[in-house]
Amino acid sequence: MSSEILLRFGLAIVIIGLGAFAYWLINQRLLVRASNNVFTLFKKLPNKPVLVYFTTPDCVPCKTVQRPAIDRVSNLLGEKLEVVEIDAIEQPDLAKAWGVMSVPTTFVLDAHGEARYVNNGVARAEKLLEQIQTL
Amino acid sequence: MTTQILQKVDHSALKTNQIIIISLNVLAFILNLPILAALVALVMGIGSALKIPGFGFVYKNLLKPRGWMKPDVLNDNPEPHRFAQFLGFLFMTAGSIALFVGASVLGWSLVWLVVALAALNAFGGFCVGCAVYYWLGRFNLPGFTKQPPAGTFPGMKPKMGASL
Repeated sequence: MSSEILLRFGLAIVIIGLGAFAYWLINQRLLVRASNNVFTLFKKLPNKPVLVYFTTPDCVPCKTVQRPAIDRVSNLLGEKLEVVEIDAIEQPDLAKAWGVMSVPTTFVLDAHGEARYVNNGVARAEKLLEQIQTL
Repeated sequence: MTTQILQKVDHSALKTNQIIIISLNVLAFILNLPILAALVALVMGIGSALKIPGFGFVYKNLLKPRGWMKPDVLNDNPEPHRFAQFLGFLFMTAGSIALFVGASVLGWSLVWLVVALAALNAFGGFCVGCAVYYWLGRFNLPGFTKQPPAGTFPGMKPKMGASL
């Protein structure tokens, strides 16, 4: 009985792992797309990490969680980080070009303009800091 | 294009429903408990009949009052989400019947299909059942009258600024 449960548990882990892998692949595709569209935001790269934040005026989680988290990261890193905020309603073409389907979505770009991380949904300050520190 | 009136839909309630469906179905598979899958089907069926998320009571009575989950109220159509739950109920019912008559592979495949669709909705923000609803609406089928909120891809979680 217990070996059957273990087997089924293992199988469940494999299935969930395959799902997570598919999700990772989709995110990788988003990162490539974002990297290819960096120059839709900048004429010249700022030579420092960039946090690109897609939001909308009425997005409640953006106001209550994402904005304060970004402010905290920005205050901690100061001049070492550039934050670019984009209103996905005002600039739908930009949101489409970057593959943004929901808000908030944040991209972390390295100093060379390569998109290294994408967060679909709310990303907490600790997570953003961790991502920026690995660049 | 005609302007439609959207309603306030709390996506946190929907997400709670999806995460509980995922958890219970995975648990049912691991413990080989078709009865648990049937229970999930039953709750989804009751939710469909009452036009509420089946496991939404967990959010309403536990997670929301204690502040463990914040409301995520968006301008949206509730009908496609109800249809998506009903579709899930049909798959879960078919899966449960298959499990009880001994067709384990078919039964668990249907249960995992529901898990995959719920996970795509909960973590990816894409509701396949809603996309099917909007797709059926294009053929002017009775009951499928709603359009996706302006600027929203059919089935995707709407951006808040969608027109009211």
